[in-house]
Amino acid sequence: MSRIKLSNRFGSVTRRDFLATGTAITGGMLAAGYGGAPLRAQSTKQGTVRVWGEPGPYAGVAVDAMNEWASANAPGLKFEIETVGWDSVYVKLMTDLAAQQPPHLISVESPIAYQLMAEGLLSPVDDVVEKVGADRMIEGVSFSDWGAWKGQQFVLPAHHQPHLLMVRMDVVEELGLGDPDTWTWDDMLNAARTIQEKTDLDGIALALGRNLCTDYHFAALLHSAGGRMFDASNNFEVAFDSPATVEALEFVRDLQPYMPKGALEYSFLQVVDAMVTGKVGMVFYWGRVYGRAAEEAPDIYKAIQSFNHAAHPTTGNRFNWNDFQGWSIPEPNNPYVDEIKAALAYYQTKREWLVRYCHSLVPNVSPVYRDVVEDPTLKEHAFFEDKERTILTYYRDSLPHSSNTGNELRGGANPLAGIVHGRSILAQTVQKVVLDGTKPADAAKWGAGQLEMVRKEHLRLVL
Amino acid sequence: MSIRVQRDWGEIVRRAVRYVVLGAVTFVVCFPLIWALLTSIKPTGEIFTSPPTWLPKELVVEHYSALIHGKPMYFESGSDYTPDTSPTQHFLSWFFNSVVVAFGAAFISVAIATLAAYSLTRFRYHGRRVIPYLSLLGYMMPPIVLVFPLFLVIVDLGIANSLWSLVFGYVSITMPFCTWLLWAFFRGLPVEIEEAGLIDGASRFQVFYQIVLPSALPGIIAAVIFSVIVAWNDYLFARIFINSVQNLTLTVGVMHFFEGVHVNWGLMMASAVLMTLPLAALFMFFQRHLVAGFGAGGVKG
Amino acid sequence: MAPTGQASRPRAVDPDEGSLRRWWAEIRQHDTHVGVLFILPFLVACLVFMVYPVVQVVRMSFYYRNPLRPDQWQFIGLDNFRAIFGDELFWDSFYQATIWTTSSIVLQALLGVAFALLLHYPLRGINVFRGLLLFPYIVPTAVIALMWSWIFNPEIGVLNHVLMTLGIIDENIYWFSTPNMAMGSTIALSVWKYTPFVVICVLAKLQTIPLELYDAARVDGAGPLRRFRDVTLPNLAEVLMVVVVFRTIWTFNKFEEIYLLTKGGPGTSTFNLAIYSFEQSIANLKLGVGAATGVVMTAMLLAGSILYLRVMRFGQED
Repeated sequence: MSRIKLSNRFGSVTRRDFLATGTAITGGMLAAGYGGAPLRAQSTKQGTVRVWGEPGPYAGVAVDAMNEWASANAPGLKFEIETVGWDSVYVKLMTDLAAQQPPHLISVESPIAYQLMAEGLLSPVDDVVEKVGADRMIEGVSFSDWGAWKGQQFVLPAHHQPHLLMVRMDVVEELGLGDPDTWTWDDMLNAARTIQEKTDLDGIALALGRNLCTDYHFAALLHSAGGRMFDASNNFEVAFDSPATVEALEFVRDLQPYMPKGALEYSFLQVVDAMVTGKVGMVFYWGRVYGRAAEEAPDIYKAIQSFNHAAHPTTGNRFNWNDFQGWSIPEPNNPYVDEIKAALAYYQTKREWLVRYCHSLVPNVSPVYRDVVEDPTLKEHAFFEDKERTILTYYRDSLPHSSNTGNELRGGANPLAGIVHGRSILAQTVQKVVLDGTKPADAAKWGAGQLEMVRKEHLRLVL
Repeated sequence: MSIRVQRDWGEIVRRAVRYVVLGAVTFVVCFPLIWALLTSIKPTGEIFTSPPTWLPKELVVEHYSALIHGKPMYFESGSDYTPDTSPTQHFLSWFFNSVVVAFGAAFISVAIATLAAYSLTRFRYHGRRVIPYLSLLGYMMPPIVLVFPLFLVIVDLGIANSLWSLVFGYVSITMPFCTWLLWAFFRGLPVEIEEAGLIDGASRFQVFYQIVLPSALPGIIAAVIFSVIVAWNDYLFARIFINSVQNLTLTVGVMHFFEGVHVNWGLMMASAVLMTLPLAALFMFFQRHLVAGFGAGGVKG
Repeated sequence: MAPTGQASRPRAVDPDEGSLRRWWAEIRQHDTHVGVLFILPFLVACLVFMVYPVVQVVRMSFYYRNPLRPDQWQFIGLDNFRAIFGDELFWDSFYQATIWTTSSIVLQALLGVAFALLLHYPLRGINVFRGLLLFPYIVPTAVIALMWSWIFNPEIGVLNHVLMTLGIIDENIYWFSTPNMAMGSTIALSVWKYTPFVVICVLAKLQTIPLELYDAARVDGAGPLRRFRDVTLPNLAEVLMVVVVFRTIWTFNKFEEIYLLTKGGPGTSTFNLAIYSFEQSIANLKLGVGAATGVVMTAMLLAGSILYLRVMRFGQED
């Protein structure tokens, strides 16, 4: 990589010299090596484009793709990935904003993106959507799910990542618990109880700690029960103090005896640990587990499959919490908006890059464009051999059941969700029930009160 | 004769008891490091066996070599393409950064503190009694609050995202304690030799270089080690002041081996060992000076 | 280092070299000027990196500031202070911070003195033990928090496994699951990591206690306990006092240990004021409230330290 960089930098000097005298021959010759790339350098800007990505290899792949664009079209620019852990996103964001030097391109969890979008901190990307292809979206979702506000698109889809019901099929089959794909809440509860009683595994592990993972796990149950935090169609009035919330809380309470005792302190890591080390029969989780299991515990890897969540007995809903993660371009003090848009359009129209992006973490990083899902090369990955159904559930079949705290029941982006998560309001509500023994109805009231405070303090965002 | 033998036996038993107690306490205290060391030489598959194995069945250096050679760390089962962003490839530069920042900050901090402490103890001017106490005020404001305005200072100085930002950041948090320590230490040093030197016609600077510095060495070493440890340990400043992956220090850098859902324990523990050993060596080597320096520093109010 | 006098004697001032050199020469002649010159870097560094940021925090505590909108400053007087004093969580955090600080400090002091006594005794190889026992102090918190969360993992952690194997417990202990356990575990981390600091200071002082004092006590017929009470402890009093002040300030303001280990949970049961301030600033997007919390913490520590030092009559003999 460093060798390529060097030659580009050298090339850029040559190119600018020639452009200055009106001859583009050298530039054309140099650029010709990149196939379909335009014949002439399009941007002479110099510098580093700071790109934020989650921990994981995928954002790095996208950045490689954008650098491929830069080496042909903006030789003075280099896209550089800065991996920002989930815990540090807000700290980094606010300090960088305060110092007037925000990153130039970010890929963060959707609730945060929605919040930034409503704050007016992002540059609209409708023009990029046009270039990428407005009709490419996979069935069941639309661009606006990734982040549209007041008629403008602010987030360009990168991938989506839902959590699903992950099941140890060896255990479920041995106990004759049926096809998890047809389960209702009652069946799942029964399965958890049976596993707990008849094996030395715990039935199910959900995160119950004071953290994001608990927020996301609970949100899926809340939405399936028909509940929500805010009502997007009614000025985001708080709608949390409802029978549906109580029902979801009661369900968590009912499941608790079949969870590991330590679940009260579980976050992302511990839930995965429980599954990969073979301590538990079921978890709610994103696709990342498969990579880790394949590497560390091949037997577990063979035994697990993922399904859409169990259906709520009356509503029939099977909502997951899906992170519609995309690229957004912070506007303040950003000299590279045009270049970033061009680079995004470049990588999003090159199918091989999009496939590589998905391949970097199968099946966690789900494709968003129809042509990518249908591309035969997407299946050229070892995991497809025995996990095709699971992978396609993450990729495609989860979408009709996708919801998100920042876009509840897909009724429209909600800029308050990031703050709710920052303060762990959902997790604390759950903990009131499972830890303090508070009545679900009272916990729901408490949570609604907290949400009311968030709404009141940030009213200007939603009106 | 027989009495002496008996006494020796008592002494031997007493010593043995002490060794046993020391050994037990040391084992408990050092258990995390022992566990880290054992984990770091286990193959990935063995790290998670349940119940855990004590000694590795198979001894491997893969985690160490991954850190030093920058091997990719993500699960790429079935994927042909590897992004150019594997965190391991930066380990050596993180290490280098940590060393530069920790020792740079320690050097500047202790240099400033030494001059200040000398001035506070050997010259007469208003405020010289209050300054050491006032400097401690800085500690009373929690760093988590202070870090935001401090970052703005760093940005205004134009050194954000550079190692200088951390050097100055750590100087700001170590300097008050170093000054306090050396101030107390200098007060304990006899002034007679210095006065004799001055009477003999040596300048203040000569006295400072040739008489004061050598005799203050234990205090200075203690202050340096304190500063190095604080800087080497910091997470908050490094997380906020630095953007580029390659400019990070070890504490923030190795968090890249923690993916939120998965900690690459082999890499994490190998880096924990590599992060701790240099300081541990330093600590062992200078432990005597550290103790001497802190002693004088703590004694005098 | 022997004085080498001549080599570094100042050269005569060359009249051509201008005012800078003359100014320098002048400074060197006035002793007080030299003194001021020596303390100058310290004062400048304090001003830029300490006083200025502290002033900024104090200023911010009177404003409404949303970190996502750095351009907007809105003066709101004492509202931030009213907000925190009226917030139940603030008082809970204060109470918990007091428990966490007090327990940590008491345990650190007790264990610190015990370990120091153990390490003071001359034994062959004692230096190795000294080095090893002081080691937790040098392990970065970020790493140790992860290590602990793994070692303390209730189901797959090695600690429960060891305790089970040794027959000390019958079923897994859930180290962070209940408020009390979580508080206990964070205190344990603090004690584990910072006791060495106390050990260093106490050990240092122990080495300066004249042996004659012990001999005299022994002649008076004092047993080991009496000797400890009558000789060791009084001699340690002063250093312990200083160490307690420093450690209290540092522990009260600690953020990383708790944040990385429990995030303040379960519920808000391990919140201390630093976490409270952080949550107000970042999660709640109210920098002003976070800053006000910092100001209140500073005031508490300041008042506490002054009171403590007064009561202990510290530094009076000077």
